[in-house]
Amino acid sequence: MGRSVRRLLMLLIAVPTLADAQGGRRRGRMSGIPSDWQGYVQSGDLNDITNPPYDGRFTFLRIRFEPDGGGGFGFRVDRKWDHDTPRAELHFMKILSELTTIRPFMNGGTILPFDSAELFRYPIAYVSEPGFWSMSDKERTGLQAYVAKGGFLIFDDFGGEHWYNFERRWQEAFPALKIVPLDLSNPIFDAFFRIESLDFSHPYFGMKSEFYGAYEDNDPKKRLVMIANFNNDIGDYMEFSDEGWLPISLTNEAYKLAVNYVVYAMTH
Amino acid sequence: MSFSCRREAAYRSRCTIRHFVPAGQQRKPLALRSISWSPAIVVRPPDRSFRGIDAPPRVNAIFEFLFKYSPVMYSRGTLTFAAGIPGWPLLLAAPLAVLGVAVWSYRRAGGALRLGDRLLLGSMRALALALLAFCLLRPMLAVSTAIPQRNVVGVVVDDSKSMRIVDRDSLSRARRVLELVGSADSALVRALAERFQIRFFRTSGAGGRTSDLAGLQFDASRTRLIPALTQAEDELAGAPVAGLVLLSDGADNSSTVVGEPGLAEQLLALRARGIPVYAVGIGSEELARDLEVARLDVPHAVLKDGAMSVEVIVTQRGYAGRKVPVVVEDGGRIVGSREVTLPRDGEAVVTRIRIPTSERGARAISVRVPVQPGEMVAENNERRTLVDVRDRREKILYIEGEPRFELKFLRRAVENDANLQVVTLLRSAKDKFLRLSVDDSVELASGFPRAREELFAYRAIVLGSIEAGFFTLDQLRMLSDFVSVRGGGLLALGGRSSLAEGGYEGTPLADVLPVDLSGPPRDTTTADEVALSPTAAGLLHPAMQLAGTDSGTAERWRTMPHLTMVNGVGRPKPGTTVLLEGKLSDSATTRARLPVFSFERFGRGKSAVFAVQDSWLWQMAEEVPIEDLSHETFWKQVLRWLVSDVPDRLEVIAPDESGPGEGIVVRAAVSDAAYLRANGASVQVTVNGGSPIPLEWAADRDGEYRTTVVPDGEGVQELRVRTVIGRDTLVSEPAYVRVASPMAEFFGAAMRPGLLRQVAEETGGRYYDAGDAMRLAKDIVYSASGATVVERHDLWDMPAIFLVLLAALATEWWWRRRRGLA
Repeated sequence: MGRSVRRLLMLLIAVPTLADAQGGRRRGRMSGIPSDWQGYVQSGDLNDITNPPYDGRFTFLRIRFEPDGGGGFGFRVDRKWDHDTPRAELHFMKILSELTTIRPFMNGGTILPFDSAELFRYPIAYVSEPGFWSMSDKERTGLQAYVAKGGFLIFDDFGGEHWYNFERRWQEAFPALKIVPLDLSNPIFDAFFRIESLDFSHPYFGMKSEFYGAYEDNDPKKRLVMIANFNNDIGDYMEFSDEGWLPISLTNEAYKLAVNYVVYAMTH
Repeated sequence: MSFSCRREAAYRSRCTIRHFVPAGQQRKPLALRSISWSPAIVVRPPDRSFRGIDAPPRVNAIFEFLFKYSPVMYSRGTLTFAAGIPGWPLLLAAPLAVLGVAVWSYRRAGGALRLGDRLLLGSMRALALALLAFCLLRPMLAVSTAIPQRNVVGVVVDDSKSMRIVDRDSLSRARRVLELVGSADSALVRALAERFQIRFFRTSGAGGRTSDLAGLQFDASRTRLIPALTQAEDELAGAPVAGLVLLSDGADNSSTVVGEPGLAEQLLALRARGIPVYAVGIGSEELARDLEVARLDVPHAVLKDGAMSVEVIVTQRGYAGRKVPVVVEDGGRIVGSREVTLPRDGEAVVTRIRIPTSERGARAISVRVPVQPGEMVAENNERRTLVDVRDRREKILYIEGEPRFELKFLRRAVENDANLQVVTLLRSAKDKFLRLSVDDSVELASGFPRAREELFAYRAIVLGSIEAGFFTLDQLRMLSDFVSVRGGGLLALGGRSSLAEGGYEGTPLADVLPVDLSGPPRDTTTADEVALSPTAAGLLHPAMQLAGTDSGTAERWRTMPHLTMVNGVGRPKPGTTVLLEGKLSDSATTRARLPVFSFERFGRGKSAVFAVQDSWLWQMAEEVPIEDLSHETFWKQVLRWLVSDVPDRLEVIAPDESGPGEGIVVRAAVSDAAYLRANGASVQVTVNGGSPIPLEWAADRDGEYRTTVVPDGEGVQELRVRTVIGRDTLVSEPAYVRVASPMAEFFGAAMRPGLLRQVAEETGGRYYDAGDAMRLAKDIVYSASGATVVERHDLWDMPAIFLVLLAALATEWWWRRRRGLA
């Protein structure tokens, strides 16, 4: 059975299950979420998003996009890009602050589309569920400028057939930039923690995780402009890290990856 | 018959005459009105208090009519009285007697006269009586006078190239000199020969005697006036010298030769010899039509694959308003050009042209403006210099306390600059460091250097957002010494743990940084948006050039995105140059102009503060086009500037150019690994890879070694110095000297009377315009130098006394008539 077919079968089973699980958890858990975020978490209304003003600190940037396909979580639209927010950001920033000398913005993060002028104040961007990622022409132009100027992208929370959409969208934006598999020798896996093994699996479906990236000018001696956690979901690990929903050892590894990504992007 | 002699003022230390010559033996009778010698009253006017000596000829003539003698005689002479009355009783009694007679004579008039009338009439009578008394005392002017034919006068002729310039009455300066002194029949020679023996000297070479002035070529490529005068005095040693006559355009360029003492030092030595110099200015003080590249400023050494700013100053006369191109050439290839509009006569226009530094080695940079129709001096339309373009990797240590985007984008901006190596030590967690761009696994393995030798191996340090408490006190002192002793560049960036907010107040670095850190630390949980604008100094600074032209740079700065600050940066210290000012967007504080980017020289090095936290927005901001390179350009230039002029352990100092056959003074400064000057090293220099020539330790300066080399032939000479100090062997960067016929003669080619006046005044001589040179022959007679006698000249019969006496008596008579007393 080919790899693509395997991914497809797994996705057919996995996605509705996962979506339902996430939606249910979201509805019941508002404790610890800053007041700025409670409106959006409850309503799902974009107008309820309140981004903090820029102050030079590292602020977690989540990219907002119009999902291409997908479904809903019962009473509300499933926007895909907002999976795990804001709890993943809140937890990650706390970890980042405790482990490193980075002094990040602690009250969640900021949410912007690729066509926002504000985007360029946050050179690291997190894209959740790129399997449903879509872009307008303006967003594509914004993304191209963002990467060309020095921005760094983290694609997360996708697996199986989601790859095809991610790959297609990437090539639409960067037809010349090849997506290449990464191994442990890449500096990104030694930027803060020394990652001993890339033997991860998807938190829900057990598929073996794979790490992909794209180099500036396709030159491995230059910086990575993006990293893709395929068949993985470090956002989920971070979101539920305070509940024991997922194994602690895997959650630890997810945090290690996330910290490395940020430190790498701030030094390369 | 009597004899007299006089010692001149104390400062003329060599005045030891002297000859006692009977007046009757003079070839020509002296105008000795008195031969008595009375020391009773000697009222000596200060030498230079009488300004009439520099007055125009007509004024001098009137003076001479009224006071009988020339201003020079009064300035050199002393007032004496021949009546033989002791001085102090006379000074006391005479005024009282005169006043008493005057008051007594009008006291009898009683009530017929008002008080005012009595005062006026009494004053007039007192004045008349005083003048009569003055004349009865037989006032005399005692002046030292050269004894005819017993004194020598040295005539020193400037025979440099600039004397060929034709700038007045269609006559070259050389021709004008020859008219005055070119032969035995020349006017000035004839006049001088009446009383003096004459010896001729030239200024070319080291100076020296010449017997054939008419045969002078006027082709010397340098003018060394004072050494030439000194040489003439040396050659006349032993003879009674009344003075030296110097004929020159005053265009001395000896100070352009490295290793020669400055003019002030030379003048001091000349003054000590006590021989007056009578200087004649030859030529016009203003050239009627001339265009000149008056100055060319380029860095001594630059890094390859960058750009450097060539600053050119053009002056002109006679071509105001004309547009001319200023062309920069590198080795004969045009690399830059700018059209300038010539300013008003006598004013200068400054232009800066940026040129690439794409080829390593000694680059022969020349700047020229085209010769204009009718120009008097064409040779000064081009200036040349050498720039050493170095291709070496300069190591900069960037210590950062937290991962942040400023680090990433700064490194990214310069990553393709092969001449910069930004070695980065990033504290990513407590006691955890990330090292980037290190040479090997050992470099910075123990964290921030703890030994001077290790720290001083870098040429510049960038302090990121890292608190002072991270460093030990020794490390902070080392950082301070890195700037002041090692001569490195230090740049402190803004950030939450930088400057005062990082606790640097009270540390050794607080003294080093160019801004005051004494204010209370700011709350760093918020940031202020700040609009930046370059200062006037900033627009000219090499680190701040964002475009190829000044206007382009100014325009680019105007549109640069706003940044943010979290530091309450204090006032700039005295001596600080502010390059970028920041205006806070907060309306309540809009008047504040913060010194965002500033620097100062500190000891041998320089320190700078760049107090924003996110210059990376100049790269990332939405309004910045992708292809815009302002951020990269800025940081490359800042870091290149930071390492510029940072000394190596072995530094070679040599002039840029030298004339053929001239000795080149080569100096080498040697330091140990801690950059302390090292004596006792073995130092050698090679010229173009030839045989090593040893340098001797200059005992007056630690660590400095000197020698003089004379290269064979012309062209660019490469000097390389090698030293062995302890177990280290160091080889210097090459120093380049261009050996060619110097062109200094043609720059500032207008006659410069300033130096000539100074030489004359310092030595007790006088300055004359060429048209007034014949007066020199009369004035030099009263020189105090050489073999002299004191001549005494009656003053009682000067017309001025008679006229004043007449006026006093006439006024008294007329007033008495008005009051009915006559």
